[in-house]
Amino acid sequence: MQYLIHLAILVSIYSILGLSLNLVVGFTGLVSVATAAFFGVGAYTVAILITGFGFNFFAALFAGMVVSGVLALAIGVVLSKFKGDYYTLASVGFNVILVGVFLNRDSLTRGPLGIPGILRPTLFGFQFADNGHFLILALVFVALVFGACNFIARSSFGRVLKALREDEKAISVFGYDILYYKLLTFVISAVFAGLAGALYAVYITFIDPSTFTVFESIYILAIVILGGLASNRGAVLGAAVLVLLPEFLRFVGFPSEIAAQMRELVYGLLLVVLMLYRPRGLMGEYKL
Amino acid sequence: MEIIPQLIINSVIAGAIYALIALGFNLVFSTVKFFDISYGAVAVVGSYAVFYFFKMLGFPLYVAVPLGILVAAVVGVLFYIFIYSPLRRRKASNTVLLVASLGAFTAMQALVAILFSSQFQTLSDAGSPTKVFLVFSGAITATQVVILGTAFVVMLALAAILKFTLFGKAVKAVGDDEEVSKIVGINTSLLIGKVFFIGSALAGLAGILIGFDTGLEPTMGLPLLLKGVIASIIGGIGNVYGGVAGAFLLGFIENFGVWQISGEWKDAIAFGVLIVFLIFRPNGIFRR
Repeated sequence: MQYLIHLAILVSIYSILGLSLNLVVGFTGLVSVATAAFFGVGAYTVAILITGFGFNFFAALFAGMVVSGVLALAIGVVLSKFKGDYYTLASVGFNVILVGVFLNRDSLTRGPLGIPGILRPTLFGFQFADNGHFLILALVFVALVFGACNFIARSSFGRVLKALREDEKAISVFGYDILYYKLLTFVISAVFAGLAGALYAVYITFIDPSTFTVFESIYILAIVILGGLASNRGAVLGAAVLVLLPEFLRFVGFPSEIAAQMRELVYGLLLVVLMLYRPRGLMGEYKL
Repeated sequence: MEIIPQLIINSVIAGAIYALIALGFNLVFSTVKFFDISYGAVAVVGSYAVFYFFKMLGFPLYVAVPLGILVAAVVGVLFYIFIYSPLRRRKASNTVLLVASLGAFTAMQALVAILFSSQFQTLSDAGSPTKVFLVFSGAITATQVVILGTAFVVMLALAAILKFTLFGKAVKAVGDDEEVSKIVGINTSLLIGKVFFIGSALAGLAGILIGFDTGLEPTMGLPLLLKGVIASIIGGIGNVYGGVAGAFLLGFIENFGVWQISGEWKDAIAFGVLIVFLIFRPNGIFRR
């Protein structure tokens, strides 16, 4: 039972990540491979504030989201100028740079040693130490992010994003400032990724730079593409499949030392197969 | 000031390695026009193949190395036959090809890690001291001299092939306009297959040389590829010699950069250069 709760929490966290990347890839049509970096920024901000300064989780969470957003603003201003494949390459670059910061700014992040001992959140004196309670907290956040993404999708802002995805030149001819829309989406996506990072940090209670590399970003991209671009429900479904599938493989008999690599193999192959046979993903309304 | 000759030597060696990667990457890009990320995985395959033949099966080096290059070339061609060619026939967008190559790269890297473990391995005979030469008070090992020599020979050979043979002209033609090339009678899919073969062989060679110089680990593909991509973009994407120039430029900027800034930021400097170029001169130094 505990194992199932653990899986459910992971699915929740990755759902939030999938929902956040969906905004950029699915609605706006920009393949960003930088999400894991903001996942990390949120996690590290919360970790440092809780372990170093004794912040309350919810205050740290807010700070984490703000830091993520501000950083995304800075990076996004540069990134949003690029088109197509160059955007993707540049996003890889930014992810690598941020992981470099996590690894090398020892004074702040303890480098490759990571930050241990992050306490579970407390709310009005109640601590979410039990995984079951944490799951409820996680689900609340998933619901909030899902609601926000649905709201964005149905709003006029969301319509402009979809138009941007379909034909960038046409929408700019109509007078819409595409740089503003690309940037705002990127920032919102990063804020949600930071939120996921905060949850991750207090759940696992230990973080290190290796969780936030480009390969994690590719994993999140796989979640979004599998679930179906521009489908919020798809993002959640994709997260569920991509978290649970490698776990099932464990039961098929693969030794656990290679569990991480099996997971990589699975989502790598999945991306290739998806591109070949179902670029729309499971519930997508649009394919790359 | 005695560190300058060493910096120059380091820059030239780095430049030579990046040049080999950039050569193959640019060659492939000039014909298929998409960023083939799985190129990095092919380099890893080459080096691990030599590791397998040389260290695990005990073949002599002069057999293991060509075999390794052959294995790398074959893997690259297989990627083309099973993934990129079908996608191209369906007129898939560059983004789809890029995402598929991301998946192929991740899966291949994971496979190598599963088969050979994620530990760091060396190709050279451990225990026998490597010869070190002193050039103007800068040290260079025998292995690095071999790397330099090989890189130059390969560059010249490729240049000769591209300029003087019918094949080379056909490659230029396909790079210029694939449709017209077909009309003129060039079997473009076969030609591109050959290009993948040669390019992948180059990647394998680069991987092998790095294996001798620094060692192998399954995750070495991405940084290597990214440097090659940066070098190609700086030099002018699609321009085979531009890539070489860009590679040496990158080598110099990186090594002189870490002279002033701490060594951990090497990758960040490389990406910084990329982003500067993408903003101000996306076509690179030499236009196509």
